[in-house]
Amino acid sequence: MKLDAATSAGDIPEGLLEPALTVGRVTPGSLDDQVLAFPETKPPKQWYFALAITLTAALIGVISIGYTFITGIGAWGNSSPVFWAFDIINFVFWVGIGHAGTLISAILFLFRKRWRNAIARFAEAMTIFAVICAVIFPLIHVGRPWLAYWLFPYPNQRALWTNFRSPLLWDVFAVNTYFSVSLMFWYLGLIPDIASMRDRTTSKLRKVIYTILAVGWRGAATHWQHYEKAYLLLAGLATGLVLSVHSVVSFDFATSVVPGWHMTIFPPYFVAGAIFAGFAMVVMVLVVVRETMELKNLITMRHLDVMNKVILSMSCIMGYSYMMEGFTAWYSMNEFLHHGFMNIVTGTYGWAGWVTISCNILIPQILWFKKARASYFWMILVAVGVTIGMWFERFVIIVISLHQDFLPSAWRIYKPTMVDFGVLLGTFGIFFTLVLLFARVLPVIATTEVKAILPDAQPSHHGDEHHA
Amino acid sequence: MPETSYSVLGIFETPDALMKAIPKARAAKLGEVEAYTPYPIHGIDDALGHRKSPLGGMVLVMGILGAITAFGFQYWISAIDYPIITGGKAANSWEAFIPIMFEVTVLFATFTAGLGMLFLLNKLPFFGHPVLSSKSITGITRDRYALAIEAEDESFDSAAAAQTLKDAGAIEVEILPAPDRSPFLTSNFILRALGGIFTACVVAGLAMFFLTKWFPLLAPMKYMQDQPRLNAQKASTFFKDGHGMQQPVAGTVARGFLPTATGTQEEAASLVNPLPRTKEVFAEGRKVYVNRCEVCHGSLGNGVGSLTAAYGGKPANLQSQMFREYPDGKIYWAIVNGKNAMPSHAPYLSENERWAVVHYVRALQRAQNAKDEDLKVVAP
Repeated sequence: MKLDAATSAGDIPEGLLEPALTVGRVTPGSLDDQVLAFPETKPPKQWYFALAITLTAALIGVISIGYTFITGIGAWGNSSPVFWAFDIINFVFWVGIGHAGTLISAILFLFRKRWRNAIARFAEAMTIFAVICAVIFPLIHVGRPWLAYWLFPYPNQRALWTNFRSPLLWDVFAVNTYFSVSLMFWYLGLIPDIASMRDRTTSKLRKVIYTILAVGWRGAATHWQHYEKAYLLLAGLATGLVLSVHSVVSFDFATSVVPGWHMTIFPPYFVAGAIFAGFAMVVMVLVVVRETMELKNLITMRHLDVMNKVILSMSCIMGYSYMMEGFTAWYSMNEFLHHGFMNIVTGTYGWAGWVTISCNILIPQILWFKKARASYFWMILVAVGVTIGMWFERFVIIVISLHQDFLPSAWRIYKPTMVDFGVLLGTFGIFFTLVLLFARVLPVIATTEVKAILPDAQPSHHGDEHHA
Repeated sequence: MPETSYSVLGIFETPDALMKAIPKARAAKLGEVEAYTPYPIHGIDDALGHRKSPLGGMVLVMGILGAITAFGFQYWISAIDYPIITGGKAANSWEAFIPIMFEVTVLFATFTAGLGMLFLLNKLPFFGHPVLSSKSITGITRDRYALAIEAEDESFDSAAAAQTLKDAGAIEVEILPAPDRSPFLTSNFILRALGGIFTACVVAGLAMFFLTKWFPLLAPMKYMQDQPRLNAQKASTFFKDGHGMQQPVAGTVARGFLPTATGTQEEAASLVNPLPRTKEVFAEGRKVYVNRCEVCHGSLGNGVGSLTAAYGGKPANLQSQMFREYPDGKIYWAIVNGKNAMPSHAPYLSENERWAVVHYVRALQRAQNAKDEDLKVVAP
C-alpha cells in the first residue's frame, strides 16, 4: 500500500498499516555488523556437529550411488512395470523444493512484497542446492552417467539428433535453464553484499576472494540504475520459469497415456505442489537459522506468519487438486482411471495415499489459527508433515499409477531397496551440507536489499515506494 | 596526495543530505557528478540526470533472437536433417517445439540481462577505479553516501570541487587519482590468485590427458559389455557339437547367393550380364575390384598387383587378347568357381557384385585399349 506523504499514519485503520519489517532499531551499519559478521567469526561447536551429521548422510549417498554404478541400476527396486520409482520421485521432489526460492525472489519482488527482502537470499540459495540435488537423479537413472551428455543436441559422429518431441528432453532444457537463471539471479544479488564483505574483512585471503567475486563493485549510481533494471528483468524472467519448470516436469507424466498421469490438471497442480513443498522447507530452515544465528530482529515472526499463510493457501489448492483427480476419475467413466484412483485410497499402497492426504491437506489446516502460525511447534510440525506428504504425493503419482496400468498380467508390487533409501538420504545430506556451508561463508540475508527498506533509508520526499 | 587529481569525493551521512547536495554539485559544472551509495536511492537517477537504462531493449532483442534460434534449430533438426516420425506426428509439427523455445528465450534474455548489465553497461569487472582503493570505500559499501565530482582532465580544479562539496554539506572530502586502466586490475593478490587458478586448470588438464592416455580402458562399469551370452567362434557345452555358432539348416541359401554357373566354364559362356551399364554399377564394380581383385590383378588389370612379387605366382593378365575376347559369362564363372590359384569368391560376393565386377573389368579393358571413337563419345 502506498502512503501519501501528507497522510499521517493515524488516519489509517491499524489493521491496514504495514507493520515494521524489522524489530528494534536496525541501521545499515548495525545490519552489516550483524549479518556479515558470520563469515568472519569462528563457527560454534554445534555447527561442526551439524556438519558432521549432514556429511555422514552425504557419504552414505555417495556410497549408494557408487554401488549403483558398480552393480548397475538393478541395485534399485525399479522393475517392470515400475521403471520410474525413487529416482524420479526424488527428482520431482527436489525440483519442487527449489520453487519456493524463485517464487520469493521473483514473483514477490514483482508484487513489491518488501518482506521478501530478508528471506530472499536464503530461499534462493536453497533453490540452487535443491536443483543440484534434483539433477543427480536423472543423471544416475540413465545408468551410465558418463554418457549423459548424449542428452544434449550436439553434432556427433553417430549423425543422431535428439527427439524434440519428448518431454524428457524438454526437461533437460527446463532444468538446465532453471539452474542457470537461479544461479545468475543469486549471484547478481550477492555482488553488492560481497563488495561490503570485501571492504570489511581484514584477512588477506578473504580480501582476494571477495575482490574477485565482487568484480570491482563500487556502488556507483549509474551502476545501481542498470543493476536495478537487470534485477527487475530477471525477476520477470524467473517468474515465467517458476510456472514453466514444474509444468514441464509434469509433462513427463501428463503427455503419456498411463491412467493417473494423463490429466490436464497436472501442470498447475505440480506448480502449486512445488511451491507448497518449497515453502515448508524454507520455513523449516528459517526457524533454525533465526534461532541459531540470532537474526530474530531481521527474520521476524511476521515473516513466518506470512509464509505459513502461503503454505495454508497452497494446501487448499492441493486439496482442490486431489478432489479434482477423484472427480475426473468418476466423471470420465473410464474404468482404468477409476481403478487407478481407487488404488490411491484403498489399494496396496493405499496407506501412501492417506499419508499424502493427511500430511498435505489435513495437518496444514491448523494454520488457520493465528496462534499456530506463531508457534514453532505447529509450524515445524506442519513443515515436516508437508515435506513428507509431498514426497509421498510423488510416490503415489509415480508408483501407484505404474504398478497397475492397462495390462493386468504385467502388474507387480514395487519394493525399494536399501540403496534407494541410501541415495535419498544422501541428497538430504548434500542439501543440508550446502546450506550449512552457505550459512557460514556468504551473507544469509541480502543486506543491500534490507538496507534499502529500513526506516529513513530513502530520501524523505519520495514516499515509501520501494525498489530493491 | 596524488600530484594530478581527477576526482573529489564528498561523504554524506544521510540520503537526504546527499540528494540536497546533488543539484549544488551539478550547478558548479566542474565535472561529471556521480554518487556512490550502499544501496540504490530512489530518485537519484533523475537528480543526476541519467538517461533510461537501455537494458530492457537489449533483453527484448536477445529474447526474440533466442526464440528464433530455438525454433530454427529444432525445426531444422526435426523436419529437415533428421526427420524421424515419433508419436505419429508430422516431422514439422512445431507445437512440440514451444517448451524449448520458451526455455531458450529465457536463457538468452537472462544472460543478456545479467552479463550485459555487468560487462557491457557497467564495464565491470574493473578493479582499477580510485574509489575502490579510497579510504571512503568501507563507508560506501556500508552506510555512507558519497558524491563525486569527476573529470578525466589535467586541468580539473580539485580544490574548487572539494570546496563545492564541503559547501553542499559533505562531512568529509577525499581527493582521488585517475582510474588505473592497466589491464583490468591493480592488486598483486588478485593477479596471483588468477594465476593460481590458471595453473590449476593447466595441471588438471595435463592430469586428465595422461590419465586417459595411461588408462585408456578404465571403464567404470563394464557389466553391460561382459554379458553372459554366447559369442561367435566360442565353444559351448550347450550344443552337441560343442560349437557356439551353429550351422544353418542344410540347403539354406542366403539372398543374392543362389548357386549359379555350376557347370563348366564353356557352359557359362552363354550367360548374359543382367546389370545395366550405369554409373552406380560401375562404381559398385570398382569397389569390389579394389577390395578383392586388385592385390593380384593390379589396378589396371594387367596382372601386376601389389602381392604379385611377394607371392611368386602369375595372376592372369586381364588385358591380354584372350581375356579381352572372353564372353562375360566366362569371367563370371571364374569369379564364382575360381581358376588355377585363384579361389572362389562366391561365398562373399553376391550375384550382383560379381556381375558388377565383370562390367568393371570390361571397362578396364576398354580403357587400356581405347580407340579413337571412344574419345568422341566422351567429348561434349
